[in-house]
Amino acid sequence: MTRQKYLFCYLMVAPAILITLALGVYPMIYSLWMSFVEYDLLRIQQFGTPFVGLENYAAVFADPRFLQTLSSTIIFTALSVTGVLAFGLILSQLLNASYRGRTAMRMLVCVPWFVPPAVASAIWMWLLNTERSPITQMLQGMGLIDGNIRYLTDPTTWGPFSIPMLSIVAVRVWNGLPFAVIFLLAALQSIPRSLYEAAEVDGASMLQKFWYVTLPMLRPMLAILATLLIIGGFGSFEINYIMTGGGPQNLTNVMAVYSYQQAYSFFRFDLASTASGVILILTGFISVFYLRSQFKKVA
Amino acid sequence: MMTIAASAPAPRARFGAMRRLANMSPTDLVTRILILAVTALLLAYILMPVFWMVKSSFQSSAEVRAMPPVWLPSEWTLQPYFNANRLIPLWRYVANSMFVSVSAAVLSTIIACSAAYVLARFRFPGANIILALILLTNLIPAITRVFPIYFFVQDLGLLNSYVGLILAYVGFSLPFAVLMLRGYFEGAAPPELEEAALIDGCSHFGAFWRVILPVCLPGIAAVSIFTFINAWNDFMWASLLLNQGDLKTIQVGIGDFASEGGSPQYINAFMAACVVATLPALGVFIIVQRWLVGGLTAGSVKS
Repeated sequence: MTRQKYLFCYLMVAPAILITLALGVYPMIYSLWMSFVEYDLLRIQQFGTPFVGLENYAAVFADPRFLQTLSSTIIFTALSVTGVLAFGLILSQLLNASYRGRTAMRMLVCVPWFVPPAVASAIWMWLLNTERSPITQMLQGMGLIDGNIRYLTDPTTWGPFSIPMLSIVAVRVWNGLPFAVIFLLAALQSIPRSLYEAAEVDGASMLQKFWYVTLPMLRPMLAILATLLIIGGFGSFEINYIMTGGGPQNLTNVMAVYSYQQAYSFFRFDLASTASGVILILTGFISVFYLRSQFKKVA
Repeated sequence: MMTIAASAPAPRARFGAMRRLANMSPTDLVTRILILAVTALLLAYILMPVFWMVKSSFQSSAEVRAMPPVWLPSEWTLQPYFNANRLIPLWRYVANSMFVSVSAAVLSTIIACSAAYVLARFRFPGANIILALILLTNLIPAITRVFPIYFFVQDLGLLNSYVGLILAYVGFSLPFAVLMLRGYFEGAAPPELEEAALIDGCSHFGAFWRVILPVCLPGIAAVSIFTFINAWNDFMWASLLLNQGDLKTIQVGIGDFASEGGSPQYINAFMAACVVATLPALGVFIIVQRWLVGGLTAGSVKS
């Protein structure tokens, strides 16, 4: 009987595990292997793929463009995670309050979630067009600026920050916000009302209630979201690739775009895999720790 | 009047709100006004781009490019939607996307269903490892596996074929689908259901097929819709695996056109194409939104 049950289990799970191995686990390992060999499409006919150890990593970490990309990726991720969580906290409060039209409001806030990244990039490129931006018009109307803002092309930098970087972050936050809002809303709804009533009896102000009741109760969900957003941020690709291609002067480049460029512009699949190997190692570590903490909670 | 943080709808809401406003301490009043201002800004931030896309798609080309910008079309026109197909082979691309996304959704839902069911219900050797692999694959960004998959698809001779892309989408969506469905099976179908069926002489598969699947149809539909949206919205895989002429998906059409700088004089037609590229996923979401969001968050906030 149990043998029959096991057979049933394995048969049912077989297609899924086959696909996960063939299109998930194996490619990741293979990609990691590619980062330890020479894999130059222009030389592969002649020289094959000799093992070179850590040479690719040395090469990549000696490349100032890569180092700049790595630091931009970290800045980009940090800014967009902070933006999504901060705005998400405010918006989820709004959607949790009771007033007429709340359902419609919830739906409206979700809309950017289902705008495909390619379309989101296209709309924002039009919105942030240097000569014809309605945002510039509004800012000028309020008397905040005189000339145009080169949202996507201004190469001026302040340390690691630049206008194109902030523009790209704004698009990323726009696209990622609804996801966080929905999950924060679900967490908000599971906070017992009695906690707020107790705080009210003690004469807590709104801010105090938020600080001493809401925020601590949301902490687990905030941690989950932060982890997912950080992992996603390190792998983010579409918006940067389409909107700026990493430019101007590599200011908005992120690791995934760098990796893609190495592969499909320079045919250096080894350096491409090395960059994606760095992403794999970083996100792999975070994922394993995250999964372990999640499992501990269940057990 | 809205109340921040938790609040049950008061029985006489309007008077209740006014009383609350009158009784409110000055700091709370200031907080509230500040929150309202920030909220208004945030809503503008969220809705403005979509509004801008839609209104631009109904405007004449000259008006879209006018400076200062014209916020509402002086005359609504459908012409951009007819012109869009001259800019890029819009309808062909939409058909490509539709075919690929529906196939991927159907395939991955079927495969995910059977795996999610046994992972939710039975303990068998290796189950935890399988689950861990699926979780990891789901978390780690796709860019870490695109090159081997590209070569793999190339070796199979499936580059620039729908089959190759569908395969990639199934691989990409499957982990998420399994995890979400597993949560759903655990929550929505009590084990007593198939115990009864087993006692009545059903096989394990019979119990799954005749008893569990019908009960879990809403969750299964939600997952298939998510995998559809996933595939529909994808740009990266499609731009790698299917980038020749008429075979492109709509997202690649849009993305390539945008990144090449497009042609500003037809921006209204391009915005029309963007609306068309957004509608299927967004439309499906709006129709079934309650249901989807409930399904997605169900497993995440169990006490």
